[in-house]
Amino acid sequence: MLHNVKDNYITSVKNHVSHFEEKSFRKLASNDFKSWPSPREETWRLSRLGILSRKELTPIIPNFKKKFTSSSQFNGSKIIRFVDGALRADLSSKLPPGTSLDTLDEEDSLKCFNKFKDSNLKNHPSINVSFSCTPSIVKLTIDKGLNIRDLFEIIYEGGDDNLSVHPALYIELKENSSITIIERFNHLSSLIMPLQLVELKKNASMNSLKIFNDNQQSYNLSANCAFLSDKSNYNSFSLIKGGLFTRSETHAYLKGENCNLNLNGVYLSSKNQHHDLTTAIYHDVPNCTSKQIVRGVLGGKSTGVFQGKVRVAPDAQKTDGQQMSRAILLSENAIANAKPELEIYADDVICAHGATVGEIDNEQIFYLKSRGISEKKAKQIIITAFLKDIINESVEEAMQNFVFEEAELALSEIISKEI
Amino acid sequence: MPLLEIKNAKLKLDNKDILKGLSLSVNEGEVHAIMGPNGSGKSTLSYMLAGRDGYELESGEVFLEGQSLSEMEADERARSGLFLAFQYPVELPGVGGMSFLREAVNSRRKFIGEEELDHLAFVKEVRKVASKMFVKDEMLKRAVNVGFSGGEKKRFEILQMAMLKPTVSILDETDSGLDVDALKIVSEGVNSQRNEDNAIVVITHYQRLLDYIVPDFVHILSDGRIIKSGGPELALEVEKNGYAGLINAA
Repeated sequence: MLHNVKDNYITSVKNHVSHFEEKSFRKLASNDFKSWPSPREETWRLSRLGILSRKELTPIIPNFKKKFTSSSQFNGSKIIRFVDGALRADLSSKLPPGTSLDTLDEEDSLKCFNKFKDSNLKNHPSINVSFSCTPSIVKLTIDKGLNIRDLFEIIYEGGDDNLSVHPALYIELKENSSITIIERFNHLSSLIMPLQLVELKKNASMNSLKIFNDNQQSYNLSANCAFLSDKSNYNSFSLIKGGLFTRSETHAYLKGENCNLNLNGVYLSSKNQHHDLTTAIYHDVPNCTSKQIVRGVLGGKSTGVFQGKVRVAPDAQKTDGQQMSRAILLSENAIANAKPELEIYADDVICAHGATVGEIDNEQIFYLKSRGISEKKAKQIIITAFLKDIINESVEEAMQNFVFEEAELALSEIISKEI
Repeated sequence: MPLLEIKNAKLKLDNKDILKGLSLSVNEGEVHAIMGPNGSGKSTLSYMLAGRDGYELESGEVFLEGQSLSEMEADERARSGLFLAFQYPVELPGVGGMSFLREAVNSRRKFIGEEELDHLAFVKEVRKVASKMFVKDEMLKRAVNVGFSGGEKKRFEILQMAMLKPTVSILDETDSGLDVDALKIVSEGVNSQRNEDNAIVVITHYQRLLDYIVPDFVHILSDGRIIKSGGPELALEVEKNGYAGLINAA
């Protein structure tokens, strides 16, 4: 604990909520923000936040007149825009019938807060700080039986130096509904603490794509919690490329039988970037499958972290949980950490994990060179294939090219410096 | 001038002498077979020729069409017309067969001043050659060598050879892992590329490949040197008496 360090931000957060009533969820949240996680806490050991306690930061007061800067990347997508962490209905699309976008009242906000507090994310700093400081908790609801054909594009932007932003989104898919959502994080802020709660009711299906591309000085501490009911399907892919420090932490609770979860991701890191994909998957009931494939490419003095916990409860027989992480280091000064954790209390399960960290395989380089392909081109081919492979496996076909092009932009920057 | 000339090649691996003064001269239109027991230096020879890192000569020299290879990286050697068919072709997950071939062929074409082939022209050309090698379209859509059978891997090697049209091809134990039918197909593929302007060096353990790819010359490699050279009959002698008799006589 960092009690002895004078922390301006803790004071700023308390000031921010000072005019709310004592029983407000904001007050409750801010009371729980007593310090930043210590590096002695296992899940923060590889991603240290000490520097945040020494920064002069204050929570942003959203400017509702601010214009947006990130334009849509898709024709005909339904856009939902958060600027400075606040929903901007005036800059968002009209949503199709059967879908709604609301801001939660005090009572529902407290319920939402408690759902996070009942999860193992309860001590995540973003939970306490963003519930204290978010302009409002926004809920996207998809009605029963509705299969949304339009792509939903959620763009998060705004912020400024020395300010923190706090978008909070609650997505509920009712029974038998489905949707594809792409979220793009394009902030200019010092600290970004996005919250997301996903609830998939029986037989609901969600494809989620997240692209973390905040500015090069920012810290993004995204905290996500997902609850899956019977036969629901959550397919999530994150591409982390921006920010100085981006950590996306997702906890998924498989609460209903026969549900399926994919939590895949890629991080592309250069210079002194720090990228972290932390996940926890809780198999609480039988007959569910979960899969995690994470790949990273690192150059410069960057650091990559993948921490993945899979917990299989004693009753969760016939669980199939797979986890695989691979990182390619293109620079001698880059570091990749992989920490798979399996906690299995059931006996009839299939669980596998594997992790590799290394340079590009010399055999592969030699094979390509022996065909007349230059070393530089050979490395490009191998890394590109490394990413294309996982993108094609994780992302629905219509979105693959977009994701690959987004990855390629970051990749070419790493490659141009290292190869 | 020979197409390939190896002069007194000496090479160490892990401080151990592997090639101990190997010389060989291969002319246009010739097929040479290099036979030898395990550990005689056969694979080291092929890697040394192809320019693999760590297989640099300690002394001696190698010339491809009169040009010294010593300062050339593996990719430059390949573009200049040297081809190695791997004993164990390397898997390239995520790299499609067709795009890999095109990248390779265009690297060579660019180097020798020919126009690079566009996608359509290239696909047409590959299909023509591939059908002769019994390489199906479906195989070219898959990732290079991933999940290929032993026979498919070797057929794909020879397809690469046919597409790259090398001046000198080194076939490293191309018969290993092949049944008789696959051996025939691969050998026919190689034979169809024999002509007056190129040369092929077949490195093998067993005589049986030489029933299908009939060499003009056979050399026995033992302990890092060529200890005996002759015609195709030398391979039959190995088959009959084993390497031991020849090595003892030498």
